[in-house]
Amino acid sequence: MISNAIQIEHVAKSFGATQALADVNLTVAQGETRALLGRNGAGKSTLIAALTGGIEPDAGRIQVIDESGVFTTAGDGSIGCVFQKSTLVPTLTAGENIFLGHYPTRFGFVDQAAMRDQAAAMLYEWGFERLSERLVSSLEPLEKKVVEICRALQGGPRVLLLDEPTAGLDAGASQQLFTKIEGARARGVTVIYVSHHLAEVFEVCDSVTVLRDGRDVATGGIEQFSFDSIVSAMAGPVDGADGPALRRSGQPVSGDRDRSSGQKVVITVNAVELDTHSRAVSLEVKKGERVGLTGLDGAGHITLARAIAGEVRVHQGTVEIDGKALRLGDVAQAIRSGVGSVPEDRHINGLVPDLSVEENATLTVLDRIRGPWGFVSRKRRRVLYSELSSSWAIKSADPTQAVSELSGGNQQKVVLARALASDPRALVLINPTAGVDVTAKESIYSSLIELSERGTSLLIASNDDDDLAVCDRVVVMYDGAVTAHLPAGYTEIELMTAVQGQAPLAPHEDLTRHRESERQ
Amino acid sequence: MTSTILQAGTRPRAIRMSPAVRRELALVPVIIAALIVGTILSPTFLTANNLLNNVLVNSSVLGIVVVAESVILISGYFDLSLESIVGLAPMVAVWLVLPSSLGGSGLGIPSWLAIVACFAVSAIIGAINGLLVTKLKLNAFIVTLAMLTLLRGVTTGISGGQTLSRLPAEFLFLGSARPFGISIQIWIFVVVVIVVAAFMQNHPIGRKVYALGGNQAAAASAGIKTTKLTIAVFVFGALLSALAGLMLTGRIASVTSDQGNGLIFTVFAAAVIGGISLNGGQGTIFGAFCGVLLLGIIQNILTLSRVPSYWIAAIYGLVILCALIFNYLAGARPRRNTQRA
Repeated sequence: MISNAIQIEHVAKSFGATQALADVNLTVAQGETRALLGRNGAGKSTLIAALTGGIEPDAGRIQVIDESGVFTTAGDGSIGCVFQKSTLVPTLTAGENIFLGHYPTRFGFVDQAAMRDQAAAMLYEWGFERLSERLVSSLEPLEKKVVEICRALQGGPRVLLLDEPTAGLDAGASQQLFTKIEGARARGVTVIYVSHHLAEVFEVCDSVTVLRDGRDVATGGIEQFSFDSIVSAMAGPVDGADGPALRRSGQPVSGDRDRSSGQKVVITVNAVELDTHSRAVSLEVKKGERVGLTGLDGAGHITLARAIAGEVRVHQGTVEIDGKALRLGDVAQAIRSGVGSVPEDRHINGLVPDLSVEENATLTVLDRIRGPWGFVSRKRRRVLYSELSSSWAIKSADPTQAVSELSGGNQQKVVLARALASDPRALVLINPTAGVDVTAKESIYSSLIELSERGTSLLIASNDDDDLAVCDRVVVMYDGAVTAHLPAGYTEIELMTAVQGQAPLAPHEDLTRHRESERQ
Repeated sequence: MTSTILQAGTRPRAIRMSPAVRRELALVPVIIAALIVGTILSPTFLTANNLLNNVLVNSSVLGIVVVAESVILISGYFDLSLESIVGLAPMVAVWLVLPSSLGGSGLGIPSWLAIVACFAVSAIIGAINGLLVTKLKLNAFIVTLAMLTLLRGVTTGISGGQTLSRLPAEFLFLGSARPFGISIQIWIFVVVVIVVAAFMQNHPIGRKVYALGGNQAAAASAGIKTTKLTIAVFVFGALLSALAGLMLTGRIASVTSDQGNGLIFTVFAAAVIGGISLNGGQGTIFGAFCGVLLLGIIQNILTLSRVPSYWIAAIYGLVILCALIFNYLAGARPRRNTQRA
């Protein structure tokens, strides 16, 4: 009889008033590959943190099999984890990375020969020869992923946790990785596979556990599930067959599919191919319309949004604003053409931390707030900032305060203000409410709605359901192509199915007819 | 956007100093303390003659290179080769003018054209540095160190290791003219400080340089042309250094093949004491100016108080260390490490 590798019993964890994990039970047998699924906020991240010893559960017990086959309480290092973000040191060799900080020693010095041999042996198990002495910076994405896996397993964990392991891998490399995971299963390695890509789950996993609202709501062998049954387990019971989706904050959706009918088109994406092997994407955003753009990580929706903002070039195709083609890859020209943009991560390219709040908010329009001598006019800057700060409700003690001193929500509002400073006709927002609290989120939404009602076209690229619920319609991308157009009023299941690339293009006419029959 | 209701007036600002201003003024009490110490140690210290003709004149060339380096540091890069431009630029100009009997080229080029040419050469050097660090993404330290060595060698090569003297009057003007009774060197220094400080503080270009050094990715996504701006900053630094070189040559009425040698260390010390961050995006030209003044005063006091000349360098170094520690205590702390991509 096969014994278990992990046993999780009645685990609960809350952060303040938020119950992240209510009651989770999970048992994984040795050599099994278990998919751990759930929507954002279902409790996946908390469970992963509890498994890896990052947090202490409030109640319940987590036991993991150790090196010698004995069950022990889970702690730091009892599970080998490979996260989406690389933790390799690019300037060291693969072997050195595998043993980073845990070098085999001889007479107190690093035993280079032993390290090389052991690393080579581990890499060989995963199907790579002659990798251990190569610099990580020179490796292919798949090779790097395998080095990460070997590092996670170095020291003896028998359980491997993979979080979105195919992120950054192309289709071919993903397939090779699946083969390697199957090989590892044959060697008795237990895998917990966390992913948003259901197609991968069907390909590589033996069994599935779905988390929802901090509970394990469905568990079973993969053969017991269909695509639809997983999606409905993740979404949970639907109140009313075609009832409107609710934002999690409890506010009803504010998108309206008919709001912009008859308006002129502002943003036109013409047969854009993001890279050499992706299909053409076309879409339009009308004046005053709020369009959501979503997909799984790597689906291309973020890249498309960045292209429209002028940050990146595309392989083929054009983007037009009011019928005039943009020169892609030129942010300054995009701003002049009437595009404002909120970049993906405010810490990376949204803010200059040492500059003042007002200066960050007006950074896009330095040339437009000059005084008579060509210098920046403090007065004009202050006037512009006052307008922006009141329309976004920025709370700062003083406009001259360094932006790094503000809270996350207010920092994000400064980035939004910066995008709006140039008085754009089209605003491209990428994850506009990432890392902000609920109050700031609501305040951002009401500003966005007001803005679009005054005629600004919004394109919101996001994976956040709340962000998408603000939109009049949502364009879903999968693997670099548009797979669905969902008018406001879509159900959660429709959205979740569409991001998996499974749904046919939404039959517009049918939905319209359906609405009309409802009215009658 | 335009229809947004304006906030009913901005709050009246209380008279209080922002952290940036506090940091800028941090050196003022130190400078005052140095002035008092100098007055006690030497009766000739606190005289207009000493302060103008020794302290300020001796600080002018250094100060202009400090201004140049500060702009480059604020943009997030640095340039070691500035000190070699201080030597090369006047050497090129003088060499073009002088007859071969005096060690020149014998081309007999008019002085004004030679001066234009030396600025052009400096601009090209700055552009090359800028291109190498932006387009090829080479490290500024090693690029400008190599450039420093190269230019130093070219300077020695042109002159054959000789000192060129017997300069035309146009070159001496920058050293000897005294409009309103004050050396032109001081005038130039003060004007450069005021103009560059105003530009950096309030001109769109200056603010873009701060954004560039503070977070290059954020600057780029705000539509700032970061590559062009970086190259422009390096060119500007090289041009100012050429000006400083011509001023030094004018003052000593000759140009040696090692002119400017070792200057860059003092330049960095003055800039950092003045609150310019080596991480970019922080510090002001006025702060750097205070750094120059402080070093000039200390240098002068050491000379006047007859410290044995063998020990001057050691004391100078010690004073710089103390100034840095004081600066830290006064609040000019290095920036928090913000998360970068």
